[in-house]
Amino acid sequence: MSVPSEPGPVRRRRRRGAPADGDERVHYSRWFWPSFTIPATIWLAILFILPLYTVISIAFGTVDPIFRGPLPVYEPWWWSGEQFGKVLNDSFGFYRIVYVHTFEYVVVASAICLVLAYAVAYYVARYGGKRKTLLLLLLVAPFFISYLMRMLAWINLLDTEGYVNKILTFLHITPHPVDWLGGRPSTVIMGLVYGYIPYMILPLYAFLDRIDVNLLEAGRDLGAGPARTFLRVTLPLSRPGILAALVIVSLPMFGDYYTQNLLSGSPKTTMLGNLIDEAVGSTGQGPKAAVFVIILMVLVLIPMLYYMRSTSRSLAVR
Amino acid sequence: MRHARDLSRREFLVRAGGTAAAVPTLSAILEACSKPGTAASGSETVQIARPDNPVTLPMNGEPIATDTPIEQGATLQILNWSVYMWKYVINQFVQQYGDNGIKFSGITTFNNMDEGVQKLQSGKIKADVFFPTIDVLGKLVAADLLQPLNHDLIPALQQDNWAVFQNPYYDQGWRYSVPYTIYTTGVGYRRDVIPDDVIHGMDNPWSILWDPAHKGKVGVYPSYRDVMAIALMKNGITDLNTSNDADLEKVRTDLLAMIDAVSPRIAYDASYNKLQRGVFDVTTAWSGDVVAGWGYDPPYTEASYKGYGYWFPADRKGPIDNDLIAIPKNAEHPRLAHEFINYWISFRHAMDNFSWNGYQPPQTQADVNELTKTQGLYSKQSSSWAAPTPYVGPWMPDAVVRETDFPIGYREGPLPADVDDHWHEIWSEFTAGVGS
Repeated sequence: MSVPSEPGPVRRRRRRGAPADGDERVHYSRWFWPSFTIPATIWLAILFILPLYTVISIAFGTVDPIFRGPLPVYEPWWWSGEQFGKVLNDSFGFYRIVYVHTFEYVVVASAICLVLAYAVAYYVARYGGKRKTLLLLLLVAPFFISYLMRMLAWINLLDTEGYVNKILTFLHITPHPVDWLGGRPSTVIMGLVYGYIPYMILPLYAFLDRIDVNLLEAGRDLGAGPARTFLRVTLPLSRPGILAALVIVSLPMFGDYYTQNLLSGSPKTTMLGNLIDEAVGSTGQGPKAAVFVIILMVLVLIPMLYYMRSTSRSLAVR
Repeated sequence: MRHARDLSRREFLVRAGGTAAAVPTLSAILEACSKPGTAASGSETVQIARPDNPVTLPMNGEPIATDTPIEQGATLQILNWSVYMWKYVINQFVQQYGDNGIKFSGITTFNNMDEGVQKLQSGKIKADVFFPTIDVLGKLVAADLLQPLNHDLIPALQQDNWAVFQNPYYDQGWRYSVPYTIYTTGVGYRRDVIPDDVIHGMDNPWSILWDPAHKGKVGVYPSYRDVMAIALMKNGITDLNTSNDADLEKVRTDLLAMIDAVSPRIAYDASYNKLQRGVFDVTTAWSGDVVAGWGYDPPYTEASYKGYGYWFPADRKGPIDNDLIAIPKNAEHPRLAHEFINYWISFRHAMDNFSWNGYQPPQTQADVNELTKTQGLYSKQSSSWAAPTPYVGPWMPDAVVRETDFPIGYREGPLPADVDDHWHEIWSEFTAGVGS
């Protein structure tokens, strides 16, 4: 016996903006919802596109003939690629080590941030219970103090006569005080981790907290142990959160310069941000600084594009 | 003097935009459309001053008249380096002119000369007095940012200041500037690590900054001119403005070798804070920074003050310089500014300020042989200072600058653009941490 099939939905072309059959909701002009983007568009145009174009105009521009300050050239037909070519050439020369350092520090610091932040965010999301709000408040607390002040505090703590060395020598972990501020990559990485970890905990927490507990219980019901449930259910579900957190944290790390300035100051730990900082403050080097900014932008676009691709894929799967 | 034809392109566009309704001349249109940076400018008129090539700066207008009254109720505005003026001395000035209702709003500071010039150029800060360095003085005049001084209103220059500054090479006839502080660039060191006789007994004490014995304990200023000047001195090259490729190659080699040898760290407070706190054993140092270092060394005991010293060549042939005071063109109180300059470079006030900031003024009444023995006002006044001290610690006589140092010392002057770029390139290699 054949089962009569139910008639499928009738698709009719409907004029955009016109009410659908039987639809009594209020309908708006076709520009109503898009108009909501106007403030953001203006914001972007004023605070992103214009400054970006100015940076590009400086990179391809010239310098003031008297004071040698950067002189942006806004007409592309007058742009000169000389400075850009020179910096690019040096980027494969003596600047290469700076790119390598920057990449190493950011990758290692982001990885450490991820491990630490994931554990904290997981704990708060799963076991925070009634203290969730308090724990979240404590997590946000570092934001109340400026980044610079927190780093300055670390200078005293890490000093050869600081508390860190006092504790380490007291516990006989090291026989002599360690020169933490003597230009060590590990100190710069530690500073980056400390400075940026709150930015990673919060998005991770937001994702982990939204994971349906029923899914975890289903995993357990199907015989998976806690570790397996975590690896097969929690971790895959939190992947977009991990990517978002990594992007949020690693992008500013790439341009960071004051962590290195304050906790090291050694040319051996120079990061890309330091090159920009130095060029900005040097007579006649403005265009070079702008070129570095553009190179940095292009470099950070790569993880950004990966993130966008991954999130769009996961949305497609849903 | 700049002519109408010397309008920068930007100025032209602004003016042309403001009169858009008017019919612009063909030449103006063509000038606006020309390649930026190629329009006629004052750059050709900026002469590079050297001791053997003194420069007389062009007069941009006339100085204010001698009988100009002091501006009543004026608020004195100062644009200066940070931590460079003792507010007590400024307040004394304000009190002295209390009948005129003078007020003081505080000092607008800058961290480097570029920043200072930018603040001045922007026109947003209408400073009454500005403290430029010698290398930008000619540029500031070319850009019409300074006003000529009325010598009658600044008698203290002739009365109290060294003869060498009555007609300086960078501003013949001191049309725009008076000297502020004088200093040498040498080596700061911890005396408990490097005894005085050790550094003074070295064949080439400049090389102590490359000594692997102090690895991780060497600090250098974030100042490419000064650090590279020291590398030149180490190599016996005394032209601190050299464009010679061979000289600069030696500097490059030495700076990169420094990275491998001692892992130097770059810090603006290398010699007035980190040296005192024991972060560094040895640093590049301006004499004034080391002298002022006690202020950063709590609990300010004599013992701690004696912990650090300053070396400069015994024959006094080394980098030497001075900073300046000038009046911006847009100063709102030029008469008050003249009064202030005269006050500031007069003997008593200059020395009071010296006792606080550590940077010596070129005062004729100050016996340079007594500076290591005589107490300054700050030392007598300060409640936090445990041990009264002379202007300069007796154990660092090298930090005292003498008038006779100037004719034999080596000056850092402005560099031509292409030479400056070459210097920057070498410095960039150093800061990138390449190593040799």
